[in-house]
Amino acid sequence: MARIQLQNVRKAFGKVQALDGISIDVKDKEFFVLFGPAGAGKTTILNCIAGIAMPEEGVVKFDDDVMNLTDPAHRNVAMVFENYALYPQMTVYDNMASALRSKLYKTDENEIRERILWAAKTMKMENLLERLPSQLSNGQKQRVAMGRALVRTPNVFLMDEPLAHLDAKLRNAMRTELKEMQANLGSTCIYVTHDFMEAMALGDRIAIINEGKIVQIGTGDEIYYMPCNEFTAQLMGDPQINIFRAEVFGPDDSYSIKINVRGESVTMALPKDDGVYAKIREQGLSHADIGIRPQNVKYSFEPKEGYFKTTVYSYESIGNKSVIVAECGDYQLRMIAPNGLNVAIDSEVYIRFELDHIILFDPDTKNYIVRSDEANFIALATAGEEK
Amino acid sequence: MAGLTLNHLYKRYDNSGKKKKIKNDFAVKDLNLVCEQGEFVALLGPSGCGKTTTLRMIAGLEEITDGQIYIGERLVNDLHPKDRNIGLAFEDYAMYPPLNVYGNVAFNLRAKGVDKAEIDRKVREIAPLMQIDDLLEKMPVKLSGGQKQRVNIARAIIREPELLLMDEPLSHLDGKARQAMRTEIKRLINKIKCTTVYVTHDQLEAMSLADKIAIINFGVLQQFGTPSEVYDDPANEFVASFIGEPPMNILETTIINKDGTFFFTFHDSNLQIAVPKRYYDVVSDGFRCKMGVRPMDVLIGGPDSQGTPEEIATFENLGDERRIGIHVGDVLMMLITEDEKRYKRGDIIKLEVRGEKTHLFDIETGDRIREKK
Repeated sequence: MARIQLQNVRKAFGKVQALDGISIDVKDKEFFVLFGPAGAGKTTILNCIAGIAMPEEGVVKFDDDVMNLTDPAHRNVAMVFENYALYPQMTVYDNMASALRSKLYKTDENEIRERILWAAKTMKMENLLERLPSQLSNGQKQRVAMGRALVRTPNVFLMDEPLAHLDAKLRNAMRTELKEMQANLGSTCIYVTHDFMEAMALGDRIAIINEGKIVQIGTGDEIYYMPCNEFTAQLMGDPQINIFRAEVFGPDDSYSIKINVRGESVTMALPKDDGVYAKIREQGLSHADIGIRPQNVKYSFEPKEGYFKTTVYSYESIGNKSVIVAECGDYQLRMIAPNGLNVAIDSEVYIRFELDHIILFDPDTKNYIVRSDEANFIALATAGEEK
Repeated sequence: MAGLTLNHLYKRYDNSGKKKKIKNDFAVKDLNLVCEQGEFVALLGPSGCGKTTTLRMIAGLEEITDGQIYIGERLVNDLHPKDRNIGLAFEDYAMYPPLNVYGNVAFNLRAKGVDKAEIDRKVREIAPLMQIDDLLEKMPVKLSGGQKQRVNIARAIIREPELLLMDEPLSHLDGKARQAMRTEIKRLINKIKCTTVYVTHDQLEAMSLADKIAIINFGVLQQFGTPSEVYDDPANEFVASFIGEPPMNILETTIINKDGTFFFTFHDSNLQIAVPKRYYDVVSDGFRCKMGVRPMDVLIGGPDSQGTPEEIATFENLGDERRIGIHVGDVLMMLITEDEKRYKRGDIIKLEVRGEKTHLFDIETGDRIREKK
């Protein structure tokens, strides 16, 4: 078990700067998620920790030891890959035992047995031990790959999209299972994913990676409620957060925003001052990008006080609920609705924002300025950290 | 008017030549389906269920073992694929790499010997519809996955087919692009009003796109209905667990009679759920069956709740919503909440289940047990 640190790690593949000054500090026993779009450099970070890739600059430390020059075999890390990489000719039991039987770890067979039985129990796969990989389903194979990592007592578990291969249903079920056994893992874990639900559900902390740089590090709640810029806000949440340009008026007694809906201006007063006004005043904003999540956009199919009119672009189920997409000229608004409504495409819809749930971004730099009820959400996010 | 009719359709692959004896069973078994003119129908099922085989039989790429296929009023069993007047869009785009987008879209019409000016008019008409007007001069290698698929569909619909067949057209695309493309397909089909059969294994895609869904398993049609019908009123346990994410909680239960009130009880658990009154005619004390309830219909009770206290086994904060797992015997029962409260493993919550939203399934066959009418 170890604390894993990267200090200003840089790595290039030819002209492409894959890692551009990555610094992270993963605490002992922390479940740390690297989250970002494809090609962001997440796997390269993992490879640098494992020793498969050599950083050109920067330091990789396990506890207080600099590991840059240690070869992968002696770093004592356990890796789980997206493709399970099981030995096809060995039973599950032998697959799990293979690392412990190697010259490096030469472990007593009785102890191997004990550890495998423990790992198999944790992963709920006691009944699979005598099977060959070809007799396993994909979900089971992934379970074996994780079990194999578990029998060792590595410095750190490195998991590279272990669930990405599985179909959506199995992935979610496995994620829940992984969450359940996480408490028993008792080890530092660095987990790479491009799935926002996995990042939120599993990570004690999440690092958002983009183009080889760290965009933000924080707990799931911090990043979800206080994303440091529009890019992060759009990554966190499905369906995506709505972001649109608004003119900001004030300061009188109150502030209001004006947006453009299909060429017409719609003005809305911001609700009570909860710290938002001071930030707007401080920044001297005349415009802002407003972010509002789909669950905070309300709709009506009848004209209603405080609602503005537009048309339906699409209506789709996303499982247990549906999304209405409304056409607003330069942009579209997504909002949550129940399943099974009778909504015709291009019909009229009336919309209202819950303006006590907005996030304001700088229209030029796209960086976070302030959100409604900020103090409350900071409290919520830090409460989560204690667990 | 029917756009497509499948009448007692069977398909058996001939495995007699193969060394390894594969079970010589039907890939498609007695499939009956009527799609109305202009309807968008999804064939949904796990891999290997026979959905693509069905599509290929409709297209004429696969021989029919038994049964009839009608496109409109026309029996097409013995018609060559090219004479069936269908448009095809498959998962892999199969574009002609030396031709630019315009050439690819126009190819079928050119092959038919349609007049040049007419081809140009049609391509120009369809390009803005599929949002490929800026791409017409580009070569296929320069296109992104989403763009290729748009060209692919444009190519299928330019022939103005009577029937459009699509086989997993979105499965190549990544999450975000797939979602965006889904919206586009939906709007497009809505505009051209062409009868469409769409094969997918993704229940979400079927739910969001289709007017009606045909759910198939082991070559047998399980249910054919609108998205809300299959979601709210599943025909059997397979449909109930296949549709919806996270899937419906399905637990084995023994029903007990407590002073005239029936309750679901579960092995190794204190949880008791009132049986809806409408089932009183079909259940009895000691009756064994499976109970299904969607995660949205399991609730956390307030402080005064009469619900059963249960310990949280998993808590997943997903940002937009939170998922909680509770052990009921050896099954993990999931519930979804949008409540802001943060729980952790080991916390005790009072569990309330919307009894009226429960479904009953036969323990052996998985068929729905319905109330007496």
